Amino acid sequence: MGANLNEENEFGNEPSSAGAAVTAPPAPNADSSTVFSPELLNIYYNRLFPYHLLHSWLSYDASVSFAPGSAKAAASSSSSSSVLSRREFSTTISKDGDEIYKRYQSFSTQSDLASAIRKQCPLKIDIGAVFNYPPKDHKSLPAGKLQPVERELVFDIDLTDYDPIRNCGCSGASICGKCWKFMVMAMEVMDRGLREDFNFRHLAWIYSGRRGVHCWVCDEGARNLSNEARGAVANYFEVTLGSDRNKNAHIPHPLHPMLKRAHRILEPHFISSIITEDGHGLLATQASWTKLLLTLPESANPVSCELEKKWRSPKNTSTPEEKWTELKSALMSFIGKSGNSKAPKNMPNNDRLRIEHWPIETVFKYTYPRLDINVSKGMNHLLKSPFCVHPKTGRVCVPIDMEKVHAFDPLNVPTLPQLMRELDEYEEQNKDVSSDTTVYDWQKTTLRGPFEHFEKFFLQPLLKDVRKSQLKEKREESERRAALVGDF
Amino acid sequence: MRNDGMVGANVFISGPKDEMTVEHTIFTLQGLPKLKSYHLYAHFLEEPSKIMIRRSVIFQLDHGDYHITCLNNQRQQHNASQHSATKQHSSYSTKMNVAGRPRGLVAVSPTTNSSGSSARAGVVDVDMYSDIPSFELSLDEFEEYALARLKVLRKIEELKTRNTPQEAFRSSLSQSLKTNLPTPKIDTASHFILRAAYCRSEDLRRWFLAQECKLFSFRLEQCKNIRDFMKRNDIDLEMVDKTEKERVREKLLSVPGAPSPLEFNSTEYYRVPFVEALRLVSSRECYLERGFAYVPLAKIISIVEAKFRSALSKSLVLAGNNSNNAAVDEHTRIGPLLKSMNSQYTGPSHVANIENGEALTAANVDASVRSMPLCMSQLHAGLKRDHKLKHQGRLQFGLFLKGAGMSMEEHTMFFQREFTKIMTGEQFNKQYSYSIRHMHGKEGKRASYTPYNCMKIVMGSPPGGGEHHGCPYKHYDEENLSALLGKLHVGSVAEREAILKLKRDGNAQLACAKHFEVVHPGASGVESVSLDGVGNHPNAWFTASRKYYEAKEGSGKSVKMEMEVVKQEG
Repeated sequence: MGANLNEENEFGNEPSSAGAAVTAPPAPNADSSTVFSPELLNIYYNRLFPYHLLHSWLSYDASVSFAPGSAKAAASSSSSSSVLSRREFSTTISKDGDEIYKRYQSFSTQSDLASAIRKQCPLKIDIGAVFNYPPKDHKSLPAGKLQPVERELVFDIDLTDYDPIRNCGCSGASICGKCWKFMVMAMEVMDRGLREDFNFRHLAWIYSGRRGVHCWVCDEGARNLSNEARGAVANYFEVTLGSDRNKNAHIPHPLHPMLKRAHRILEPHFISSIITEDGHGLLATQASWTKLLLTLPESANPVSCELEKKWRSPKNTSTPEEKWTELKSALMSFIGKSGNSKAPKNMPNNDRLRIEHWPIETVFKYTYPRLDINVSKGMNHLLKSPFCVHPKTGRVCVPIDMEKVHAFDPLNVPTLPQLMRELDEYEEQNKDVSSDTTVYDWQKTTLRGPFEHFEKFFLQPLLKDVRKSQLKEKREESERRAALVGDF
Repeated sequence: MRNDGMVGANVFISGPKDEMTVEHTIFTLQGLPKLKSYHLYAHFLEEPSKIMIRRSVIFQLDHGDYHITCLNNQRQQHNASQHSATKQHSSYSTKMNVAGRPRGLVAVSPTTNSSGSSARAGVVDVDMYSDIPSFELSLDEFEEYALARLKVLRKIEELKTRNTPQEAFRSSLSQSLKTNLPTPKIDTASHFILRAAYCRSEDLRRWFLAQECKLFSFRLEQCKNIRDFMKRNDIDLEMVDKTEKERVREKLLSVPGAPSPLEFNSTEYYRVPFVEALRLVSSRECYLERGFAYVPLAKIISIVEAKFRSALSKSLVLAGNNSNNAAVDEHTRIGPLLKSMNSQYTGPSHVANIENGEALTAANVDASVRSMPLCMSQLHAGLKRDHKLKHQGRLQFGLFLKGAGMSMEEHTMFFQREFTKIMTGEQFNKQYSYSIRHMHGKEGKRASYTPYNCMKIVMGSPPGGGEHHGCPYKHYDEENLSALLGKLHVGSVAEREAILKLKRDGNAQLACAKHFEVVHPGASGVESVSLDGVGNHPNAWFTASRKYYEAKEGSGKSVKMEMEVVKQEG
């Protein structure tokens, strides 16, 4: 590993003393492609993992300080009734080549949490529900006594669900900038929907480390939703998209306001990243547009024949975008919906509707979020914690800034070796500076951007709301007490 | 009295031994949380010869007075001169005492709504059951009403599992309601009694909640004036005002199932938190904005249903916690009644059904095979062939026989006759007779087990090697089932195909009912044959089949045939 770092490190030929400390135990079988190893992970958990962010988030307690500086000393109430102590953590650890999955762990303080993670050095940390009792006591509780009582509303979107429509050569776990666009579209649609329709405000979008994203909705209302309500929210967003080749999605019409908004968001993406040559090329080559035209309802055959002929001619130099516009207007005038065209007399109404809806359904098929809704439906479903490192890519599960979601590049997310290098570089550059202002080691790396954004734009507003509701609760409690003793 | 924040409390009352009239009395309880209603369990320290509990008994709590209402287990001695006065307080001293013999159950609800109770006295088509009723019931009525409601709820379950078409469902259910729950009083009382009986476990609660909600929606659909209903039940939904409605006009109109633009102006919209409209949210049948669902009046039923469901669900859980906290225990006279309520139902129709003296015996059981549904005749055949049955089979078949009226002695004799063909009598006694006695409630916890119904058999574990239990229509593959039906000469090829088609579609119980139809032609025309439970309970199948043969052949003949069997055996 040390060798690996030095190879990529421009200061490689003169490793600093600080760097030596960081990269301490050299991995025996390190090769140049190593992005992940127990040793690297160990350093990550020891120096970079933002325990205080995880802790102050999952405590949902405004009295737990999250300001840098004081946070290091933060030792919150360790009572077994706190939200954190009733939260299930699960870890996947590697032992003798086997992966062992340990469920029902819980920690009452940040230092408990941190020391357990440092000790276990887990490949993956999952976050479960908040239970009525600390889950670590599950063996001593009577069967059925341990019940989940609250949980963030979560969404899981994964590129593997897009395989039928990925036309960039990627499939399964591999990703490229082209197919990442699907995630961007999904995040935009879901973020707007959750905020505007459900009034949720505390949403954390997290890169899953490889090929997907997770959304944690942390509003108090969202955390207290019943399983039934979670199912309803998930179903609200789910659209049945045609799965087999040549089968279009049939979306009920009129288009629900939520779907109308989604369509407004998605069609520009469809034009810029799906049909174009540097996108998924849906209308860029003869082979692909022929395939697309075949998905038109049979009754629209005259239109597809005509366009096919026109587009095939060498004189035709229209861009994919122009083709899409042309296709749509040809369809609309075919069914008599636009301009001076006359409607064919004997077309059944059903055919007419299918033709009218085809463009919308096509946009949805290629762009609408494909959710794994089972993850969202149950309170008790585990989901990978933010800030973990994906063992296959070595990339950190970083928070995503929705304001700059278009600029987010998963291939640019720091890997473990890169972080080690950055630490080395930083310490090399600042070894003579006595007044180092950084508190956390992650501030010395590119994790600083996403982590600080998480703290400032997700955590602080969240805790502000928590404080408000805690104050309200306190007031009500004292009023109730006063009422009971007749003392106002 | 407990004071731990639960919604129930025990009250121990002592008074003059004879003719205790707990009336015009104030009990002062302190420290109870502020709630709409409580369950207070009154325990009378001495058993007075006569107890009168009237509405005028007041529990004075920190935050207002609460009326006693009655679920009294003592036979009521009606006093002709009803006391209407409610304000002459305190003629008895009351004592809180921890060591008393629990005697009665009293439900308590707020005293305030005299207007509410007069509204209830009128014809009320749909009841939210939000107020605990106040009237007196005898122990007999208590049980009778509860069973009447159980019949209705069972009917709903049956109709739903059979996928009865809407029309038939409605007419069948209104018929059942008319017969079983003819008055609002019986309806209300029985609901609350069953609440108490079905709050005890998760499974019971779920069943009760599901059926009650179906009943509620059925009634709500029949309800002519939903707005009036909402007003009566204090369902105060926020109506969307005109400007607001115009602002979101386009949005509202583009929700699937929205009124037409012409109807739009006259359509009232309501704005509710989205968690109250989950069904509509889930199917995208409402417009959502900032956490609120905009629901047209036509779809408000869904909201009211959800309110009913969540209120009932909550109160069941609360009551469940309470009853688990030992309030209703074995010593009260109501406790055992409530506890056995859920198993009571199958009781009347399928437990030890010996009407007409046609008891099933070891001697005549073989001749009765033709009246057994396929699952049971398969078990019978298996027993005859292997001379033993495995555990699941013994239970399923044994309880069925018991339900069909076979006594424990005959049951033992029958099994012994078969089992001892491969083992000694001693072995049989050692290993098997205990479990037969257990089944009949003579051993162990002495519970009288009820025969399995179809649901239990269908959902149960499928038979493994050497096992014969389960439902052939569910657990056999099509090929085996087809061969079996052929071998048993069940109907014609076309009829067998019809049965198999139902099996293919996953309708095991319908397939079984079809089987009945095929082998009992014209059964629906025979007056004494009740097809009600056929396809829902093996014992109902059996009873119906026996009645059918009785009517067809005359009871004399069937008795004669059984005599012959006896002779052969002898």
